[in-house]
Amino acid sequence: MELYQSLVTVNPVTLIAAIANLFIQLLIFRHLFWNKILKVLDQRRQAADQEIAQAKAAHEEADAIKATYEQNMKEAKARAEGILLNAQKTATARSEEIIGQAQATAAQIKVKASSDIELEKKKAINDAKNEISGLAMAIAGKVVERELNSADQADMIDRFIQELGDGV
Amino acid sequence: MAISINGAKILATFENVPLFGTVQITQTLTASWLVMLIISALCIWLGSGLRVTNISRKQAVAELAVTSLLKFVRGNMGTGFDHYIPLIGTIFITSVVSNLISLIGVWSPTADLMTELAWALVVFVLITYHKIKAAGILSYLKGFLDPVFILAPINVLSECFTPVSMACRHFGNILSGTVISTLIYAALTTANNALFGFLGSSLYAGIALVILGGILIGLGLSRKKKRMWIPGAIVAVLGVLAVLTNLGADYPWLTIGIPAIPSLYFDWFGGCIQAFIFCTLTTLFIKQAAGD
Repeated sequence: MELYQSLVTVNPVTLIAAIANLFIQLLIFRHLFWNKILKVLDQRRQAADQEIAQAKAAHEEADAIKATYEQNMKEAKARAEGILLNAQKTATARSEEIIGQAQATAAQIKVKASSDIELEKKKAINDAKNEISGLAMAIAGKVVERELNSADQADMIDRFIQELGDGV
Repeated sequence: MAISINGAKILATFENVPLFGTVQITQTLTASWLVMLIISALCIWLGSGLRVTNISRKQAVAELAVTSLLKFVRGNMGTGFDHYIPLIGTIFITSVVSNLISLIGVWSPTADLMTELAWALVVFVLITYHKIKAAGILSYLKGFLDPVFILAPINVLSECFTPVSMACRHFGNILSGTVISTLIYAALTTANNALFGFLGSSLYAGIALVILGGILIGLGLSRKKKRMWIPGAIVAVLGVLAVLTNLGADYPWLTIGIPAIPSLYFDWFGGCIQAFIFCTLTTLFIKQAAGD
């Protein structure tokens, strides 16, 4: 025959067993389920934090690289401009130098030419003098009709020509 | 017919046990062991093969459960009571499984007041611990004399009724579900006996019903009218059952399937909501006891 409790029965054994069961169940629940899941959740949070930190670091690094790059670019630009400016300056200087040199050469040539001309002129004058003195000698010889010794003759003629030259 | 609604079945009785006297081992105990086995298996299953990334669907469910429980307890108690979360979770899952285990025909441990009383007593110890911790033992004891010392017995009673009311609320709801399920079952059995006692009295009545139902189904399907083939199917099934009854397969046919409908509310909804209420009360009482 099957025996039943009445609907509401106080049974101390069941009560104590139920309390014990609750604590055993609690231990099982906590160690086999709760702590494990919490650990995984924690690990995931840590991993996520780490990734975020890494991403931030990478971002900062990229920013730094970008800044360096920009700086370098700026410097390079400045340097290029400097080089360009320098080149221009050099070119200007060089051209001026070349022009100066050309001018100087030209001037030199001019001077040389004029001195040459002068020389030629002098030479011509001298030639003319000689010519004239010869002529004069002949004329004077004819006029004076007298023989002068050659030294006196030359001296006299020179003086004459000198005076003539001064007069010219 | 006589309906009897009993408590737990007594499996063994030991006389003259020291300290306890007569000890009765009941179904509640074995059923609660079964519940523990189920929950432990569930815990081991859900707690195994955990990964940090690329998680399985199972792990997603487990994590959802854990985070929901965390959110629930922290929402009710704040963050200072995280060490009670496993206890509350244990009570909740034990309560739910105990309430629902009656669906597979096992005696529900929560249909025994002792189970809920055990949980409520544990909670009561925590409540009292927090009250004493928050106020000090002297002011805790002095609190019973407020506002007038004559009210001390009432204060003591009200204190003691906290666990009793918690236990009885849960127990009463589960018991009422059990009672109503039993009543519905009995009523359906009676209705079944009346119906098939009449239909099954002659073999020809059953065969006639089958034929009538068959005609209705055939007509309904060919004309695509639900109004015809659904009643036809019911009539045909009744006819088949009547024939079976007449041939000696006397079974309360109406109790198949139909009790599942009220059980949706009384077992599923009631069972889950009572577990939830018990845990909510636990958190609120402890929070209240600890003060702010």
